[in-house]
Amino acid sequence: MASGPMSVDSSTKEPPAEPGANQDEPKYGGYTRFELELEFVQSLGNPQYLNHLATRKFLTDPRFVAYLKYLLYWARPPYLKYLTYPGPTLKHLQLLQEERFRENIISPELVHQLIAEGMKAGVEWHQETETKP
Amino acid sequence: MDKYLDARFERVERALASLIDSITKYNPSEKLGEELIAADRELAAGLQALETHHNNYARIQQLRAETAALDAQTKDIIGALWAMRKEVKNTHTTVYAASGPKYQFTTAELLDYARRISSTTLPPQAAIIGAADGAAATAGAAGTSPDADDAARSSQGGQTPTASFGATPVTAGTPMGGGGQAPPTPAANGETQTQTQSQTTVTSTFTELPMHIKPAVNLGEGAVFYPWPVEEKIRMGALSTVDYLSTHGIDPRGYDPEEEEQRKKEEEQARKEAEERARQEREEAERRMHEERERMARERERSRAEAERRSSVATGFVQAPAKAQFTFLDGLDDDDDDD
Repeated sequence: MASGPMSVDSSTKEPPAEPGANQDEPKYGGYTRFELELEFVQSLGNPQYLNHLATRKFLTDPRFVAYLKYLLYWARPPYLKYLTYPGPTLKHLQLLQEERFRENIISPELVHQLIAEGMKAGVEWHQETETKP
Repeated sequence: MDKYLDARFERVERALASLIDSITKYNPSEKLGEELIAADRELAAGLQALETHHNNYARIQQLRAETAALDAQTKDIIGALWAMRKEVKNTHTTVYAASGPKYQFTTAELLDYARRISSTTLPPQAAIIGAADGAAATAGAAGTSPDADDAARSSQGGQTPTASFGATPVTAGTPMGGGGQAPPTPAANGETQTQTQSQTTVTSTFTELPMHIKPAVNLGEGAVFYPWPVEEKIRMGALSTVDYLSTHGIDPRGYDPEEEEQRKKEEEQARKEAEERARQEREEAERRMHEERERMARERERSRAEAERRSSVATGFVQAPAKAQFTFLDGLDDDDDDD
Protein backbone atom coordinates (compact mmCIF):
# COMPACT_ATOMS: atom_id res chain seq x y z
CA MET A 1 0.00 0.00 0.00
CA ALA A 2 1.22 3.44 -0.83
CA SER A 3 2.32 4.99 2.39
CA GLY A 4 4.38 7.26 0.22
CA PRO A 5 4.99 10.67 1.58
CA MET A 6 7.43 9.80 4.32
CA SER A 7 9.62 7.82 1.99
CA VAL A 8 10.03 10.78 -0.31
CA ASP A 9 12.34 13.56 0.59
CA SER A 10 9.84 16.09 1.89
CA SER A 11 12.34 18.21 3.74
CA THR A 12 12.65 20.49 0.74
CA LYS A 13 10.56 23.53 1.30
CA GLU A 14 10.49 24.62 -2.30
CA PRO A 15 7.70 23.18 -4.46
CA PRO A 16 8.98 20.91 -7.20
CA ALA A 17 9.62 22.21 -10.67
CA GLU A 18 6.88 21.97 -13.25
CA PRO A 19 7.17 19.07 -15.70
CA GLY A 20 9.46 19.74 -18.59
CA ALA A 21 11.27 22.50 -16.76
CA ASN A 22 14.26 20.47 -15.72
CA GLN A 23 15.33 17.26 -17.35
CA ASP A 24 17.89 16.42 -14.68
CA GLU A 25 15.25 16.26 -11.96
CA PRO A 26 16.13 13.44 -9.56
CA LYS A 27 13.70 10.57 -9.78
CA TYR A 28 12.21 8.42 -7.08
CA GLY A 29 11.35 4.99 -8.36
CA GLY A 30 11.13 6.46 -11.85
CA TYR A 31 8.90 9.37 -10.90
CA THR A 32 9.71 13.00 -10.26
CA ARG A 33 8.84 14.71 -6.99
CA PHE A 34 6.22 16.68 -8.90
CA GLU A 35 4.48 13.51 -10.08
CA LEU A 36 4.58 11.89 -6.67
CA GLU A 37 3.30 14.92 -4.82
CA LEU A 38 0.58 15.52 -7.40
CA GLU A 39 -0.60 11.98 -7.01
CA PHE A 40 -0.49 12.18 -3.24
CA VAL A 41 -2.33 15.47 -2.97
CA GLN A 42 -5.06 14.13 -5.25
CA SER A 43 -5.28 10.92 -3.27
CA LEU A 44 -6.16 13.12 -0.31
CA GLY A 45 -9.44 13.76 -2.11
CA ASN A 46 -10.48 10.22 -1.25
CA PRO A 47 -12.02 10.19 2.26
CA GLN A 48 -11.14 6.54 2.68
CA TYR A 49 -7.51 7.31 2.00
CA LEU A 50 -7.64 10.01 4.68
CA ASN A 51 -9.08 7.45 7.05
CA HIS A 52 -6.34 5.05 6.07
CA LEU A 53 -3.69 7.68 6.81
CA ALA A 54 -5.34 8.35 10.14
CA THR A 55 -5.35 4.69 11.11
CA ARG A 56 -1.66 4.49 10.22
CA LYS A 57 -1.07 7.38 12.67
CA PHE A 58 0.33 9.66 9.98
CA LEU A 59 -1.99 12.54 10.76
CA THR A 60 -0.64 12.93 14.29
CA ASP A 61 2.98 13.06 13.16
CA PRO A 62 4.17 16.67 13.29
CA ARG A 63 6.43 16.04 10.32
CA PHE A 64 3.43 14.91 8.32
CA VAL A 65 1.44 17.95 9.41
CA ALA A 66 4.29 20.13 8.21
CA TYR A 67 4.23 18.25 4.93
CA LEU A 68 0.50 18.90 4.60
CA LYS A 69 1.15 22.57 5.14
CA TYR A 70 3.87 22.47 2.52
CA LEU A 71 1.43 20.82 0.08
CA LEU A 72 -0.72 23.95 0.13
CA TYR A 73 1.28 25.16 -2.84
CA TRP A 74 -1.11 23.09 -4.95
CA ALA A 75 -3.78 25.68 -4.31
CA ARG A 76 -2.00 28.30 -6.39
CA PRO A 77 -0.72 28.55 -9.94
CA PRO A 78 1.00 27.15 -11.80
CA TYR A 79 0.35 23.97 -9.85
CA LEU A 80 -3.41 24.45 -9.54
CA LYS A 81 -4.08 23.57 -13.15
CA TYR A 82 -2.59 20.10 -12.78
CA LEU A 83 -5.26 18.93 -10.34
CA THR A 84 -7.76 16.71 -12.09
CA TYR A 85 -9.96 16.37 -9.01
CA PRO A 86 -9.83 20.00 -7.89
CA GLY A 87 -12.93 20.06 -5.68
CA PRO A 88 -12.36 17.29 -3.14
CA THR A 89 -8.57 17.67 -3.32
CA LEU A 90 -8.50 21.31 -2.28
CA LYS A 91 -11.35 20.88 0.18
CA HIS A 92 -9.63 18.05 2.01
CA LEU A 93 -6.25 19.74 1.81
CA GLN A 94 -7.80 22.75 3.50
CA LEU A 95 -9.60 20.61 6.08
CA LEU A 96 -6.41 18.71 6.85
CA GLN A 97 -4.81 21.92 8.06
CA GLU A 98 -7.29 21.81 10.97
CA GLU A 99 -6.19 19.73 13.90
CA ARG A 100 -9.74 18.78 14.78
CA PHE A 101 -10.37 17.33 11.34
CA ARG A 102 -7.13 15.36 11.49
CA GLU A 103 -8.28 13.86 14.77
CA ASN A 104 -11.85 13.16 13.68
CA ILE A 105 -11.24 11.62 10.27
CA ILE A 106 -10.38 8.36 11.96
CA SER A 107 -14.08 7.85 12.70
CA PRO A 108 -15.98 5.90 10.01
CA GLU A 109 -19.03 8.13 10.51
CA LEU A 110 -17.15 11.17 9.29
CA VAL A 111 -15.75 9.19 6.37
CA HIS A 112 -19.25 8.10 5.40
CA GLN A 113 -20.51 11.61 5.70
CA LEU A 114 -17.70 12.94 3.54
CA ILE A 115 -18.33 10.26 0.93
CA ALA A 116 -22.06 10.96 0.83
CA GLU A 117 -21.56 14.72 0.66
CA GLY A 118 -18.79 14.45 -1.90
CA MET A 119 -20.76 12.18 -4.21
CA LYS A 120 -23.85 14.34 -3.87
CA ALA A 121 -21.87 17.47 -4.64
CA GLY A 122 -20.07 15.74 -7.51
CA VAL A 123 -23.40 15.10 -9.20
CA GLU A 124 -25.32 18.20 -8.23
CA TRP A 125 -22.84 20.96 -8.88
CA HIS A 126 -23.62 21.13 -12.59
CA GLN A 127 -27.32 20.37 -12.24
CA GLU A 128 -27.71 23.54 -10.20
CA THR A 129 -26.27 25.60 -13.01
CA GLU A 130 -28.52 23.85 -15.50
CA THR A 131 -31.72 24.66 -13.64
CA LYS A 132 -30.83 28.32 -13.41
CA PRO A 133 -32.32 30.31 -16.31
CA MET B 1 -71.62 66.52 -40.24
CA ASP B 2 -73.93 69.26 -39.04
CA LYS B 3 -74.67 70.44 -42.59
CA TYR B 4 -75.26 66.89 -43.64
CA LEU B 5 -77.90 66.43 -40.97
CA ASP B 6 -79.36 69.92 -41.41
CA ALA B 7 -80.04 69.22 -45.10
CA ARG B 8 -81.90 66.07 -44.15
CA PHE B 9 -83.94 67.82 -41.45
CA GLU B 10 -84.80 70.59 -43.90
CA ARG B 11 -85.96 68.07 -46.44
CA VAL B 12 -88.16 66.35 -43.89
CA GLU B 13 -89.57 69.74 -42.76
CA ARG B 14 -90.25 70.80 -46.30
CA ALA B 15 -91.90 67.51 -47.15
CA LEU B 16 -93.96 67.73 -43.97
CA ALA B 17 -94.94 71.34 -44.63
CA SER B 18 -96.02 70.64 -48.20
CA LEU B 19 -97.99 67.62 -47.00
CA ILE B 20 -99.70 69.71 -44.30
CA ASP B 21 -100.38 72.39 -46.87
CA SER B 22 -101.91 69.88 -49.16
CA ILE B 23 -103.99 68.47 -46.30
CA THR B 24 -105.17 71.92 -45.20
CA LYS B 25 -106.24 72.55 -48.82
CA TYR B 26 -108.19 69.31 -48.54
CA ASN B 27 -106.18 67.99 -51.42
CA PRO B 28 -103.82 65.44 -49.99
CA SER B 29 -101.35 64.16 -52.51
CA GLU B 30 -99.93 60.66 -52.32
CA LYS B 31 -96.75 61.86 -53.88
CA LEU B 32 -96.09 64.28 -51.08
CA GLY B 33 -96.65 61.53 -48.52
CA GLU B 34 -94.09 59.32 -50.22
CA GLU B 35 -91.69 62.24 -50.33
CA LEU B 36 -92.05 62.60 -46.59
CA ILE B 37 -91.38 58.88 -46.04
CA ALA B 38 -88.29 59.03 -48.23
CA ALA B 39 -87.07 62.12 -46.39
CA ASP B 40 -87.65 60.41 -43.08
CA ARG B 41 -85.63 57.39 -44.19
CA GLU B 42 -82.82 59.66 -45.28
CA LEU B 43 -82.87 61.28 -41.89
CA ALA B 44 -82.75 57.90 -40.18
CA ALA B 45 -79.72 56.92 -42.30
CA GLY B 46 -78.15 60.26 -41.48
CA LEU B 47 -78.66 59.65 -37.79
CA GLN B 48 -77.04 56.25 -38.20
CA ALA B 49 -74.08 57.91 -39.83
CA LEU B 50 -73.97 60.39 -36.97
CA GLU B 51 -73.79 57.57 -34.49
CA THR B 52 -70.87 55.99 -36.34
CA HIS B 53 -69.23 59.37 -36.50
CA HIS B 54 -69.58 59.82 -32.79
CA ASN B 55 -68.20 56.39 -32.12
CA ASN B 56 -65.22 57.06 -34.36
CA TYR B 57 -64.67 60.37 -32.72
CA ALA B 58 -64.77 58.77 -29.29
CA ARG B 59 -62.26 56.18 -30.45
CA ILE B 60 -59.97 58.87 -31.78
CA GLN B 61 -60.22 60.69 -28.50
CA GLN B 62 -59.45 57.52 -26.61
CA LEU B 63 -56.43 56.77 -28.79
CA ARG B 64 -55.16 60.28 -28.34
CA ALA B 65 -55.45 59.94 -24.61
CA GLU B 66 -53.61 56.65 -24.77
CA THR B 67 -50.82 58.15 -26.85
CA ALA B 68 -50.49 60.99 -24.43
CA ALA B 69 -50.34 58.56 -21.52
CA LEU B 70 -47.70 56.46 -23.26
CA ASP B 71 -45.72 59.55 -24.12
CA ALA B 72 -45.83 60.59 -20.53
CA GLN B 73 -44.74 57.13 -19.46
CA THR B 74 -41.85 57.11 -21.91
CA LYS B 75 -40.80 60.48 -20.68
CA ASP B 76 -41.00 59.25 -17.13
CA ILE B 77 -38.89 56.21 -17.91
CA ILE B 78 -36.30 58.20 -19.76
CA GLY B 79 -36.26 60.71 -16.98
CA ALA B 80 -35.90 57.96 -14.41
CA LEU B 81 -33.12 56.38 -16.44
CA TRP B 82 -31.33 59.66 -16.68
CA ALA B 83 -31.69 60.20 -12.97
CA MET B 84 -30.56 56.65 -12.31
CA ARG B 85 -27.55 57.01 -14.55
CA LYS B 86 -26.60 60.19 -12.81
CA GLU B 87 -27.01 58.46 -9.50
CA VAL B 88 -24.95 55.47 -10.57
CA LYS B 89 -22.25 57.71 -11.91
CA ASN B 90 -22.15 59.61 -8.67
CA THR B 91 -22.13 56.47 -6.50
CA HIS B 92 -18.76 55.56 -5.10
CA THR B 93 -18.13 51.81 -5.36
CA THR B 94 -17.00 50.09 -2.21
CA VAL B 95 -13.66 48.39 -2.69
CA TYR B 96 -13.67 45.11 -0.82
CA ALA B 97 -10.42 43.69 0.37
CA ALA B 98 -9.55 40.65 -1.76
CA SER B 99 -10.37 37.39 0.02
CA GLY B 100 -7.30 35.78 -1.47
CA PRO B 101 -4.62 36.46 -4.00
CA LYS B 102 -5.84 36.87 -7.55
CA TYR B 103 -4.13 35.18 -10.45
CA GLN B 104 -4.18 36.01 -14.11
CA PHE B 105 -5.21 33.37 -16.60
CA THR B 106 -6.34 33.29 -20.20
CA THR B 107 -9.57 31.92 -21.59
CA ALA B 108 -7.63 29.31 -23.53
CA GLU B 109 -6.02 28.06 -20.33
CA LEU B 110 -9.36 27.95 -18.59
CA LEU B 111 -11.01 26.00 -21.42
CA ASP B 112 -8.06 23.68 -21.62
CA TYR B 113 -8.31 22.96 -17.93
CA ALA B 114 -12.07 22.49 -18.15
CA ARG B 115 -11.62 19.96 -20.93
CA ARG B 116 -8.92 18.16 -19.00
CA ILE B 117 -10.91 17.76 -15.79
CA SER B 118 -14.26 17.09 -17.48
CA SER B 119 -13.86 13.33 -17.24
CA THR B 120 -13.05 13.42 -13.56
CA THR B 121 -15.50 16.05 -12.40
CA LEU B 122 -18.54 15.52 -14.62
CA PRO B 123 -20.32 12.26 -13.93
CA PRO B 124 -21.63 10.19 -16.85
CA GLN B 125 -25.36 10.34 -17.45
CA ALA B 126 -26.00 6.87 -16.08
CA ALA B 127 -24.21 7.67 -12.87
CA ILE B 128 -25.99 10.98 -12.36
CA ILE B 129 -29.37 9.45 -11.71
CA GLY B 130 -27.94 6.52 -9.86
CA ALA B 131 -25.63 8.60 -7.76
CA ALA B 132 -28.31 11.16 -7.04
CA ASP B 133 -30.48 8.41 -5.63
CA GLY B 134 -27.50 6.77 -4.06
CA ALA B 135 -26.25 9.98 -2.51
CA ALA B 136 -29.68 10.72 -1.13
CA ALA B 137 -29.93 7.19 0.16
CA THR B 138 -26.46 7.20 1.65
CA ALA B 139 -27.02 10.63 3.10
CA GLY B 140 -30.15 9.37 4.80
CA ALA B 141 -28.49 6.20 5.88
CA ALA B 142 -25.39 7.97 7.10
CA GLY B 143 -27.50 10.15 9.29
CA THR B 144 -29.27 7.26 10.94
CA SER B 145 -27.05 4.23 10.82
CA PRO B 146 -23.89 4.00 8.78
CA ASP B 147 -23.74 0.29 9.43
CA ALA B 148 -26.90 -0.28 7.44
CA ASP B 149 -25.40 1.66 4.57
CA ASP B 150 -22.28 -0.38 4.86
CA ALA B 151 -24.27 -3.58 4.77
CA ALA B 152 -26.14 -2.44 1.68
CA ARG B 153 -22.87 -1.73 -0.02
CA SER B 154 -21.45 -5.07 0.95
CA SER B 155 -24.44 -6.87 -0.46
CA GLN B 156 -23.65 -5.53 -3.91
CA GLY B 157 -20.62 -7.75 -4.20
CA GLY B 158 -17.53 -6.82 -6.18
CA GLN B 159 -15.93 -5.22 -3.20
CA THR B 160 -12.20 -5.03 -2.87
CA PRO B 161 -10.12 -6.32 -0.03
CA THR B 162 -9.76 -3.54 2.46
CA ALA B 163 -7.52 -5.03 5.04
CA SER B 164 -5.27 -2.01 5.21
CA PHE B 165 -7.51 0.64 3.76
CA GLY B 166 -10.00 1.40 6.45
CA ALA B 167 -13.33 -0.07 7.25
CA THR B 168 -15.45 0.94 4.30
CA PRO B 169 -15.43 -1.21 1.21
CA VAL B 170 -15.25 0.59 -2.10
CA THR B 171 -17.94 -0.53 -4.47
CA ALA B 172 -15.99 -0.56 -7.63
CA GLY B 173 -17.62 -3.34 -9.60
CA THR B 174 -21.07 -3.58 -11.01
CA PRO B 175 -23.78 -4.84 -8.69
CA MET B 176 -24.08 -8.09 -10.55
CA GLY B 177 -24.90 -10.42 -7.74
CA GLY B 178 -26.72 -8.09 -5.43
CA GLY B 179 -29.71 -7.04 -7.46
CA GLY B 180 -31.28 -3.73 -8.37
CA GLN B 181 -32.25 -2.70 -4.87
CA ALA B 182 -28.80 -1.31 -4.26
CA PRO B 183 -28.77 2.44 -3.61
CA PRO B 184 -26.89 3.58 -6.72
CA THR B 185 -29.48 2.42 -9.23
CA PRO B 186 -28.56 3.43 -12.77
CA ALA B 187 -31.01 4.84 -15.24
CA ALA B 188 -31.43 1.79 -17.41
CA ASN B 189 -31.96 -0.40 -14.41
CA GLY B 190 -34.72 1.87 -13.20
CA GLU B 191 -36.39 1.79 -16.58
CA THR B 192 -36.36 -1.95 -16.81
CA GLN B 193 -37.72 -2.14 -13.31
CA THR B 194 -40.68 0.04 -14.16
CA GLN B 195 -41.18 -1.93 -17.35
CA THR B 196 -41.38 -5.16 -15.50
CA GLN B 197 -43.67 -3.68 -12.93
CA SER B 198 -46.08 -2.62 -15.63
CA GLN B 199 -45.87 -5.95 -17.37
CA THR B 200 -46.10 -8.30 -14.48
CA THR B 201 -49.86 -7.95 -14.59
CA VAL B 202 -50.01 -8.99 -18.23
CA THR B 203 -47.23 -11.49 -18.79
CA SER B 204 -44.23 -12.78 -16.98
CA THR B 205 -40.94 -10.87 -17.02
CA PHE B 206 -39.75 -11.94 -20.44
CA THR B 207 -38.32 -8.53 -21.32
CA GLU B 208 -36.10 -8.44 -18.26
CA LEU B 209 -32.57 -9.28 -19.26
CA PRO B 210 -30.67 -11.75 -17.15
CA MET B 211 -28.51 -10.06 -14.58
CA HIS B 212 -25.24 -11.18 -16.13
CA ILE B 213 -26.09 -9.77 -19.58
CA LYS B 214 -27.18 -6.34 -18.44
CA PRO B 215 -23.68 -4.85 -18.08
CA ALA B 216 -22.85 -6.06 -21.59
CA VAL B 217 -25.66 -4.17 -23.28
CA ASN B 218 -25.41 -1.10 -21.09
CA LEU B 219 -21.94 0.04 -20.20
CA GLY B 220 -23.32 2.50 -17.71
CA GLU B 221 -24.90 -0.32 -15.75
CA GLY B 222 -24.03 0.04 -12.12
CA ALA B 223 -21.66 2.88 -12.80
CA VAL B 224 -20.82 4.79 -9.66
CA PHE B 225 -19.16 8.14 -9.96
CA TYR B 226 -16.53 9.15 -7.47
CA PRO B 227 -15.25 12.71 -7.63
CA TRP B 228 -11.89 11.57 -6.26
CA PRO B 229 -9.33 8.94 -7.25
CA VAL B 230 -10.61 5.52 -6.31
CA GLU B 231 -8.62 3.05 -4.28
CA GLU B 232 -7.51 1.00 -7.31
CA LYS B 233 -6.01 4.09 -8.87
CA ILE B 234 -4.10 4.91 -5.71
CA ARG B 235 -2.91 1.33 -5.43
CA MET B 236 -1.62 1.35 -9.01
CA GLY B 237 0.04 4.74 -8.81
CA ALA B 238 3.54 6.04 -8.45
CA LEU B 239 3.39 6.14 -4.66
CA SER B 240 2.73 2.44 -4.50
CA THR B 241 5.73 1.88 -6.75
CA VAL B 242 7.89 3.84 -4.36
CA ASP B 243 6.37 1.96 -1.47
CA TYR B 244 7.04 -1.36 -3.17
CA LEU B 245 10.65 -0.42 -3.78
CA SER B 246 11.26 0.70 -0.23
CA THR B 247 9.64 -2.40 1.24
CA HIS B 248 11.91 -4.48 -0.97
CA GLY B 249 14.98 -2.77 0.37
CA ILE B 250 15.65 -0.55 -2.63
CA ASP B 251 16.20 3.13 -2.06
CA PRO B 252 13.79 4.77 -4.51
CA ARG B 253 15.96 7.85 -4.73
CA GLY B 254 17.61 7.87 -8.12
CA TYR B 255 16.20 4.46 -8.90
CA ASP B 256 14.35 4.32 -12.18
CA PRO B 257 12.68 1.01 -12.95
CA GLU B 258 12.82 1.76 -16.66
CA GLU B 259 16.53 2.48 -16.53
CA GLU B 260 17.03 -0.61 -14.40
CA GLU B 261 15.12 -2.60 -16.94
CA GLN B 262 17.24 -1.16 -19.72
CA ARG B 263 20.42 -1.89 -17.79
CA LYS B 264 19.31 -5.47 -17.14
CA LYS B 265 18.48 -5.94 -20.79
CA GLU B 266 21.87 -4.69 -21.80
CA GLU B 267 23.55 -6.99 -19.32
CA GLU B 268 21.50 -9.87 -20.60
CA GLN B 269 22.47 -8.97 -24.12
CA ALA B 270 26.16 -8.82 -23.23
CA ARG B 271 25.93 -12.13 -21.42
CA LYS B 272 24.24 -13.73 -24.41
CA GLU B 273 26.87 -12.37 -26.76
CA ALA B 274 29.65 -13.72 -24.55
CA GLU B 275 27.94 -17.10 -24.47
CA GLU B 276 27.58 -17.07 -28.19
CA ARG B 277 31.24 -16.25 -28.62
CA ALA B 278 32.28 -19.00 -26.23
CA ARG B 279 30.07 -21.45 -28.04
CA GLN B 280 31.57 -20.52 -31.38
CA GLU B 281 35.06 -20.88 -30.02
CA ARG B 282 34.22 -24.24 -28.55
CA GLU B 283 32.74 -25.38 -31.82
CA GLU B 284 35.80 -24.16 -33.65
CA ALA B 285 38.07 -26.08 -31.31
CA GLU B 286 35.94 -29.18 -31.66
CA ARG B 287 36.00 -28.88 -35.38
CA ARG B 288 39.76 -28.55 -35.38
CA MET B 289 40.16 -31.54 -33.12
CA HIS B 290 37.88 -33.54 -35.33
CA GLU B 291 39.87 -32.62 -38.39
CA GLU B 292 43.06 -33.56 -36.59
CA ARG B 293 41.65 -36.93 -35.69
CA GLU B 294 40.50 -37.54 -39.20
CA ARG B 295 43.87 -36.58 -40.52
CA MET B 296 45.53 -38.96 -38.13
CA ALA B 297 43.16 -41.73 -39.01
CA ARG B 298 43.90 -41.22 -42.66
CA GLU B 299 47.63 -41.29 -42.00
CA ARG B 300 47.30 -44.42 -39.95
CA GLU B 301 45.33 -46.05 -42.74
CA ARG B 302 47.92 -45.08 -45.23
CA SER B 303 50.79 -46.39 -43.15
CA ARG B 304 48.98 -49.62 -42.53
CA ALA B 305 48.44 -50.07 -46.23
CA GLU B 306 52.13 -49.32 -46.76
CA ALA B 307 53.07 -51.90 -44.15
CA GLU B 308 50.84 -54.49 -45.74
CA ARG B 309 52.30 -53.77 -49.12
CA ARG B 310 55.80 -54.13 -47.78
CA SER B 311 55.04 -57.34 -45.96
CA SER B 312 53.45 -58.80 -49.08
CA VAL B 313 56.48 -57.82 -51.15
CA ALA B 314 58.92 -59.16 -48.59
CA THR B 315 56.89 -62.36 -48.07
CA GLY B 316 57.11 -62.80 -44.35
CA PHE B 317 60.13 -60.63 -43.98
CA VAL B 318 59.04 -57.92 -41.68
CA GLN B 319 61.38 -55.20 -40.67
CA ALA B 320 61.35 -54.51 -37.02
CA PRO B 321 62.24 -50.78 -37.24
CA ALA B 322 59.18 -50.08 -39.45
CA LYS B 323 57.03 -50.68 -36.39
CA ALA B 324 58.88 -48.18 -34.31
CA GLN B 325 57.54 -45.09 -36.07
CA PHE B 326 53.91 -45.83 -35.08
CA THR B 327 54.52 -45.86 -31.40
CA PHE B 328 51.00 -44.89 -30.29
CA LEU B 329 49.38 -47.48 -32.52
CA ASP B 330 51.40 -50.32 -31.14
CA GLY B 331 48.44 -52.47 -30.23
CA LEU B 332 46.99 -52.39 -33.70
CA ASP B 333 50.30 -53.05 -35.32
CA ASP B 334 50.92 -55.91 -33.02
CA ASP B 335 47.63 -57.44 -34.03
CA ASP B 336 48.52 -56.96 -37.66
CA ASP B 337 51.85 -58.53 -37.08
CA ASP B 338 50.35 -61.49 -35.38
CA ASP B 339 48.12 -62.30 -38.30
